Amino acid sequence: MEQSIVQKIVNEIEKYAPNADVEHVGRVTSVGDGVVSIDGLSRAVMGEIIQFEETAGRSLAKGMQSSGALYGLVLNLEEDGVRATILGDSARVSEGMTIKSTGRILSVPSGDELLGRVVSALGEPLDGKGQFSKTTMMPVERDSYGVIDRKSVSVPLQTGIKAIDAMIPIGRGQRELIIGDRSTGKTTIAIDTIINQKYEPAEKRPICIYVAIGQKESKTARIVAQLAEAGALPYTIIVDAPASAPAALQFLAPYAGVAMGEYFMDKGRDVLVIYDDLSKQATAYRQLSLLLRRPPGREAYPGDIFYLHSRLLERAARLSENKGGGSITALPIIETQDGDVAAYIPTNVISITDGQIFLDSSLFNKGNRPAIDVGISVSRVGSSAQTKAMKSVAGTLRLGLAQFRELEAFMQFAQDLDKTTADRIETGRRMVEVMKQKNGAPIPVEKQVVVLYATDKKFFADVAIARVSEVESLLLEFVDGQYSKELAEIKKTGVISDELKTKLDRALEEFRLAHRELFAKS
Amino acid sequence: MDKAYAKALWEIVEGGMAPKAAVKRLCEVLGARGRLGLLPKIARSFSILSSRDRSKNSVVLKVARSSDAKHALKEAGTFLKDAGIKLGDVRTDVEESLIGGWRLEAGELLRDASYKRRLLDIYENVSEE
Repeated sequence: MEQSIVQKIVNEIEKYAPNADVEHVGRVTSVGDGVVSIDGLSRAVMGEIIQFEETAGRSLAKGMQSSGALYGLVLNLEEDGVRATILGDSARVSEGMTIKSTGRILSVPSGDELLGRVVSALGEPLDGKGQFSKTTMMPVERDSYGVIDRKSVSVPLQTGIKAIDAMIPIGRGQRELIIGDRSTGKTTIAIDTIINQKYEPAEKRPICIYVAIGQKESKTARIVAQLAEAGALPYTIIVDAPASAPAALQFLAPYAGVAMGEYFMDKGRDVLVIYDDLSKQATAYRQLSLLLRRPPGREAYPGDIFYLHSRLLERAARLSENKGGGSITALPIIETQDGDVAAYIPTNVISITDGQIFLDSSLFNKGNRPAIDVGISVSRVGSSAQTKAMKSVAGTLRLGLAQFRELEAFMQFAQDLDKTTADRIETGRRMVEVMKQKNGAPIPVEKQVVVLYATDKKFFADVAIARVSEVESLLLEFVDGQYSKELAEIKKTGVISDELKTKLDRALEEFRLAHRELFAKS
Repeated sequence: MDKAYAKALWEIVEGGMAPKAAVKRLCEVLGARGRLGLLPKIARSFSILSSRDRSKNSVVLKVARSSDAKHALKEAGTFLKDAGIKLGDVRTDVEESLIGGWRLEAGELLRDASYKRRLLDIYENVSEE
C-alpha cells in the first residue's frame, strides 16, 4: 500500500470521534416504483433527506462494497409513518430496512466550479471530469424573494434572435415561456440565447443554466457539444435528469437548477435558467403523486400542480441594489399537443409567466424559422428593458407583420389588388424574410438594429425575396468592416442619434451602389 | 376501509373489551352492512398494527458476543435512563457482524456504538477524500 494512503488512514483514525448521538429511525414496510412506505420517523419533516442503512445485518466487508450512501426524500407525512421517494437505485432497498433521519433538507452544490460541467439533479458530476472540491450547498426548496427585495425589470437579455429581441423583448429577471408543439424549435431558441451571451462583456454576462428534464441523453449530449463548439460552455451549467432517470429526479431537476442559480444571483450576478421542459416535469410529478397515493385531480394531476410551477418560477427575480442587484431570468419550455395552448399545464404556466413565445408548426413547415407566431406571442415586461435604438427601429415591425398576415389570407382569393395593398404585401414578405434566422447563429443586438433600420427604410424593397437573406448577410459584413465604429456606438449607448442615422443612411446607399445587381427585383 | 376497521378493533380491545367479544361485535357490524368479505383484509391489517406496536415498544440490545452483554448494558445505562426504559424490558440479541461494541434499538431510537459502524465511518471518510 502506498505510504500516503496509510498516512491518510492513520490521520483519519486519530481524528475520529465516535458519534454518541441518538438517531431517529424508521423501517421500510413496502417499496415499489421508487417510492417507500416507512413506519416510524415520527419527527421527520417535509422535504427532509433520509438515509437508508444498507449495512445493518451485513458483514463489514459487504457493507464496504455497497456503492455510496443511498438517500430518500420525504414527500408525505402520514398518521403512522411517512412516504418517501428513493433518490437512487430502488433495487438496493428492501422491506424491513432501517432508515435514519438526517435532519437535513435537500441541498445541491453550487459555485464557479460547476461552470462548464454536466451535473445530475442532485448536483453530482455526470461528465467524468472529477468531483467538486469547493462548492456551497444551496437548498433545493427555498422561499422566493418578496416585493421589497425586488426591482422591476429594466436591463435587456439579448437572445440574438431578431424576431424576439425586436418584437418580444426579454428583460433580466423576467419569466418568458417558450411554447409550441414538438419539433418546432423551442430548444433551439433556448440554446441560441445561451450562445448569444458570449457577445456580452464578461462582467455582465449572465451565468446560463440549462435544465434538461426527461430528455433523451443523446439530445443533451448534442446540446453540450453545440455549446462547447460555440464557446458557450465555460459560462454554462447543464443539469441533466434524462428520461431514464427516476421520476423523483425529473421532478427535482428544475429546483436544483434554480438553487444553483440563486448562489450566483445572491452574489450580484445575472443568471439565465432554461427549463426544458416543464411538461415532462409535470408528468413526472403526476407519476410520483399517484404512487404516493395523493388524490388525483384534472387529467390525474395532483391538486398542487399549479404550485409546483408557480413556486419554481417565482424564484426568478431581479433583486434590488440592497440585495446585490443580481437576477434570475427564467425561460421555461412547454410542449403542446397539436398546438393546443388552452390545455391544463400550458394555461397554468402561461398565467404564471410574464409572456410567451409561441412557436407554430405550420410556420415551421413553411420554412419560417424561428417559427414564432407574433400574433399570440407577447412579452409583458420586456419592452421596458428594450434599448431605445431597438425600440426606434422595431416599433412598426409587429404591426406590419400582423397586417401582412391578414392580407396574406385575403390574397388567396382576391383577383386584383390595388397598389397600396400590393406594396404592403411585398413589404410584408420581405419582413418575413428578414425575420428568418439560421439556428446556432445568434446576431448581436447592434447588428440587429442595423438590419431592422434598413427594413424600416424599405432597403430590401428592390431585392428579390429569395435573395433577402443573402443581401442581409452581405450588408452586415459591409457594415462590420466599414462602419464598425458606428456599430460599437449603438452597442455602447443603445441609442440611434440623428448623426448616427445619417451615417447609417450613407452606409446603406454605399452598399446599394456597390451591389447594384442585388437590387434588381426579378 | 380494512385499515379503519382494524384500527377500531385495536382501540376497543385496548379500551378493555374482551378480544373475543370485540371480534363478535365486529362480525355483527360487518354482517349488517354486508361487508363480511372484508374480514381477511381486516385480519391482515390488524396483524400489521400488532407488529408495529410490538416493534414500537421493543427494546433490543445487539452485541457481537453474548459475553459483551453485561458491559454493553452498563455502557447503555445513561441512554436507557434518559429514554425511560427499564433494564428488564431490554432483550439481548447476538449479531456477530457488529465485530464489537453494541447497538441499541428502542422503537424509533437508535444508538449505534458498534465497532462495525466506527470502521465504516472511517472507511467512508477516507474514500470520500
